[in-house]
Amino acid sequence: MEWVRHLSGALGEPPEVVGGKAHGLVLLHRLGLPVPAGFVVTTEACRVFLRTGRFPGGLAGELASAIEVLGPSTVSVRSGAAVSMPGMMDTILNLRLTPDSLDEALKSVFASWNTPRARTYRTLHGIPHDLGTAVVVQRMVFGDRDDHSGSGVAFSRDPGTGENAPFGEVLFGHQGDDVVSGRTLTLPLHTIANREPAVWQDLLDALSCIEQHYRDACYVEFTFESGVLWLLQVRPGRFTGAAAVRLATDLADAGAITRAEALLRLAPHHLRHVRVPRIEPDADVIARGLGVCPGVAAGRVAVTSDEAVRMAADGPVVLVRPETSPEDIRGLAAATGIVTARGGPASHAAVVARSMGKPAVVGVADLHVGSDSVAIGGRTVGVGAMVTIDGTGGEVVLGTPRVVTGGADGHLRRLLGWADEVSGDGSERGEAERLEAAQVVLRRREGA
Amino acid sequence: MSRDLLVLHALRCVGTTGLTRVASFTGLDESDVESELIDLAVAGLVTHHRGFGGWALTESGRSADAARTKAELESAGTRPALAEAFDAFLVLNPELLDLCTAWQVRSADGVTTVNDHSDTAYDARVLALFTDFHARAVVVIAALAAAVPRFGRYDARLSEALDRAQAGELERLADTIDSFHTIWAELHEDLLATLGIARWSG
Repeated sequence: MEWVRHLSGALGEPPEVVGGKAHGLVLLHRLGLPVPAGFVVTTEACRVFLRTGRFPGGLAGELASAIEVLGPSTVSVRSGAAVSMPGMMDTILNLRLTPDSLDEALKSVFASWNTPRARTYRTLHGIPHDLGTAVVVQRMVFGDRDDHSGSGVAFSRDPGTGENAPFGEVLFGHQGDDVVSGRTLTLPLHTIANREPAVWQDLLDALSCIEQHYRDACYVEFTFESGVLWLLQVRPGRFTGAAAVRLATDLADAGAITRAEALLRLAPHHLRHVRVPRIEPDADVIARGLGVCPGVAAGRVAVTSDEAVRMAADGPVVLVRPETSPEDIRGLAAATGIVTARGGPASHAAVVARSMGKPAVVGVADLHVGSDSVAIGGRTVGVGAMVTIDGTGGEVVLGTPRVVTGGADGHLRRLLGWADEVSGDGSERGEAERLEAAQVVLRRREGA
Repeated sequence: MSRDLLVLHALRCVGTTGLTRVASFTGLDESDVESELIDLAVAGLVTHHRGFGGWALTESGRSADAARTKAELESAGTRPALAEAFDAFLVLNPELLDLCTAWQVRSADGVTTVNDHSDTAYDARVLALFTDFHARAVVVIAALAAAVPRFGRYDARLSEALDRAQAGELERLADTIDSFHTIWAELHEDLLATLGIARWSG
């Protein structure tokens, strides 16, 4: 077929043709992991559509036969460009598969390549406008089917610290888009262990299998339907800062990668990031969100701007809000840091916090703000109670934990020791310089 | 919208604040704003916080604003038109937040770092995208203003912030109390308040 490919382990084409999402699904097939049946429409078909406003000749016929192979089903229709553009394009779920409905869904996803927001995103990130997106059509699995169903996202290791323990979120009884949207409160990933032990075991096995293949931490999106696990998306973990240092060092220690590979995987940027003050790793984290403005802030909880302004006269305040409105700018100006239940890296709260250089944690899913207390991570924290937040890793901690700078500590020391061995230079220099010197030697060796 | 309601509504959208921001919001002189605020205070609708020197709505001021804004919208009969233009606003909103974020932070080697504005080519690219965005935003604001004329004021305010940024005051994009982003956030709050939509529940 010219425009359509069945998703299977035999599919050998690169992301430029089938998109990053389908490329990951092919990998999952090859590893023998459970993936819902489906097919992908190529980026070239999208390019023709964007150029001419019509499907390329022959696509309709190929779609008809792909529909026949899949049989009567309900499907998801998702964009998947060669380059990741998270949340920028259309996704259609729960589509009853007929030639007409698929036709319409496909056109809508193709067309979403060119929304103004998507164009702005590409201009910002230097992504060419003429790439187009592939479209993945897969049989739906239902996270809301019954009591033994749900959806979630998982990292094979903790992306905040690099610790070798699976990390993520799950929503029982919901479809996957509810997890990503942040509209519904999620539970920590490990709650699956008690509620669905078989799913948990399969998920752990899958994460470890994918890690072995990538020789790197990984990220997956999954759904379990009536106690059966399905994987819907996969990519490498893309850790940064202290987590990247710990990951590379641990992988080298485990023999998964060589020390030279560990050194080459880190960018000097990562080491500069390691130097940002962090809450010490052993602190009792009661909740975690998304760190969107780095730094650590400790202060007493205030739940309104008025309260923050009033309390700030007696010492530092952390403003805790469901999300922010213009009224909160005043409270944030008075506060030393902010926590919100909703929002992502490009939320109003994040933009305002960064404009003031205040540590901020947004998108803390299990946070409810009351009038004189907040419910967070299953605990009740009263107004005036002391909390500490970490705007890098997104941690929220009760009281005042120790704050460390250059937290990756032992791991970083060892890694830089390897770097000095490679470069043969043990002189006093900055950490990024030590890494760079080793990378120069290693790249020269690779080139030779 | 009568002058007293305009001032009352400014506090609803901006939050507790001083005369300067209410004047900027309403387009009135600070002295006129102050005399309106004093009348509103006498009526129990606003209050002056001595401690942090700002004017704030009282609970009854908040309800009065909601009731009068709603009555005005109903009598004009333009709720459907405003709601339709609000949908167009919601399409633009995430893009503006993307742009503000791109202005503040950059991604290099997968690591997000603060934009230190040393790369003038990058800054120029983002500023150009703001300009492109603004051209589309004024179309939506015109639709909002066709339904409720006072929304036209946001065009003037956003245009001024962008002009200043283009003239070199780069902090007017996303980093000040009168930045393009702050004015946009006030517009968002204004739309929610005028249409009676709760920003969050629980």
